[in-house]
Amino acid sequence: MPIPPHLEQIFEGALVSILSYVDNRGRISSHPMLPLYDSARGNLYFTSSILFSRKLQHIKRNPRVSVLFTGREFIKSPEYHVIHIKGDAKVFDEDVHSGWEWLLPLWRRKEPYIDSFLKQRIALPLFWERAVIEVRPVEMLVWENGDMGREPIRVKP
Amino acid sequence: MTDMKDLELFKEAVVAYLDEDGYPVSYPSNFKIKDGFILVEKKFRISQGAMVTLTFNHITPLPSGGYTDRRYVVVRGRVESLDGSLKVSPDKIYGWDEKKTPFPEYCEIMVPQARRYANELVSEHGKASGPKISLPSLLFRSTRFPFTIATVVPVLIANTLAAYNGYFNPLLFILTLVGAVLIHLGLNMSNDYFDNKLGADNINRTPTPFSGGSRIIQYGLLTPSAVAGMSTLFYALGAAIGLYLAFSRGLIPILTIFAVGVLISIFYTAPPVKLAYRGFGEVAVGIGFGPVIVLGSYYVQAQELPISAFLASIPIGILIALILYINQIPDIPYDSAAGKRTIVTRLSRDGVMKLYKALLATTYGVIVTAIVMGQAPPTTAVALLTIPYAIKTVRKVGENYGNPYMMIPAMGANIKLATWTGLLHAVGFAAAAVFNIFS
Repeated sequence: MPIPPHLEQIFEGALVSILSYVDNRGRISSHPMLPLYDSARGNLYFTSSILFSRKLQHIKRNPRVSVLFTGREFIKSPEYHVIHIKGDAKVFDEDVHSGWEWLLPLWRRKEPYIDSFLKQRIALPLFWERAVIEVRPVEMLVWENGDMGREPIRVKP
Repeated sequence: MTDMKDLELFKEAVVAYLDEDGYPVSYPSNFKIKDGFILVEKKFRISQGAMVTLTFNHITPLPSGGYTDRRYVVVRGRVESLDGSLKVSPDKIYGWDEKKTPFPEYCEIMVPQARRYANELVSEHGKASGPKISLPSLLFRSTRFPFTIATVVPVLIANTLAAYNGYFNPLLFILTLVGAVLIHLGLNMSNDYFDNKLGADNINRTPTPFSGGSRIIQYGLLTPSAVAGMSTLFYALGAAIGLYLAFSRGLIPILTIFAVGVLISIFYTAPPVKLAYRGFGEVAVGIGFGPVIVLGSYYVQAQELPISAFLASIPIGILIALILYINQIPDIPYDSAAGKRTIVTRLSRDGVMKLYKALLATTYGVIVTAIVMGQAPPTTAVALLTIPYAIKTVRKVGENYGNPYMMIPAMGANIKLATWTGLLHAVGFAAAAVFNIFS
């Protein structure tokens, strides 16, 4: 089942989401991260610099992750829904130098100034060595209109 | 340092726990802090004693797109009780606030993690991994090429003074310039090699374009041995030109001046002398970029060493020493920790600023004195045009003293001041030389 357009709108408008994963000691770690959504593939993507690579190691060991979209002010879309996604993640780090660059058009839409930083790649070279985290949604919980007092709607993509 | 007080800056918490199916589950919640516990809403099937992770996140979206003002706090803890809400006892709190730790500093802190991961990727994927930059960019960065202006300016001063005094051979000028620049490149790279070896660059969390070294070793762009090799190559090429000039223009004087210059540049950071680590770095740089380059370059042209050449070498020597002096201010905590006792680490803030002003005043004073003594043409007074800019620069340095990132424009202004004052000094000599030709 394809992801409903009103939920895709949230993915495309969100400037931040919370990515949670399980570390090697069974604890949950959470990171605020810029979510990128590829509607053609129906997957969420994150890019992580190798400077902040601990999460990559943990996700490679245990690919079960969750992503939460919350915070009205962080989501630039006409509608607002809180969305929780359980998903299976895959880390792509064979080419950290340029393997993430196909995501630049999606990134640019959310952070238009990214190109000016990228032009100065030489100034902070390790920041631009990046892995891609792909999250394939397995199950979604949706609190429509951000109303957390109601039971969430369960959506299976 | 992140603590519970920081949570007051956030609107909501994200509560995360491990579900029975092995996936993390998270939801947003209001929160309260009470008696050292964090109270959040209960949802789903979280049991007493369960481990939870609370994430507090903030960004300020920008109207033009993107965001700023990033901060987050993560709290790990255990659910103590379930009286309607979850009472979480924090075990560990960590986070980041870009107002407290600017992003470039945060990145520097994480460099060792990135290097470890890059090494793991090599064994995992069987191919070299890590930052790649083009060869010209790598050379530009590793040699800190723009800083060679500090060599170019004194060579220009010496050669324009020589021209004013009736001596100028273009080929000798080019050879002197190339030789001196090569030695400077060797110096820059040996400085990186030894600052890495002795630890000063490795512990520096706030490098700027003007301080903290080139970072090529720290970022894994070049190995220390490659840096040492390149440094040796630059020194060897520079030395070859120096020897040629010595043999063709005056063996003993040129060799003596050249040897002093090379020894200063090597022992600037190299053990056992380590001039920069003992508080003599600024003086060494002043002598190296002032009298050594100016007198050496002048002798190559004129085969004599008049008092006018010595006087011309003092202002540029001081100005170049002041570049180093000011650029070392952001490095004070790291240099102190690495035992690099630069002058600015030994003085108070007030002392540093007083000495800065006094040395700038001396620079302009020497230019005027040389004119008054008849050792320089009146046209060299054109260098005094930078005095208003010097006053502004002093103010800028004072206002942003010690803040590594806020000081970047002040450090840039200080470099411009040295460059423009030196160039105008050379223009003064050149104008008088041209006047001599046509009169």
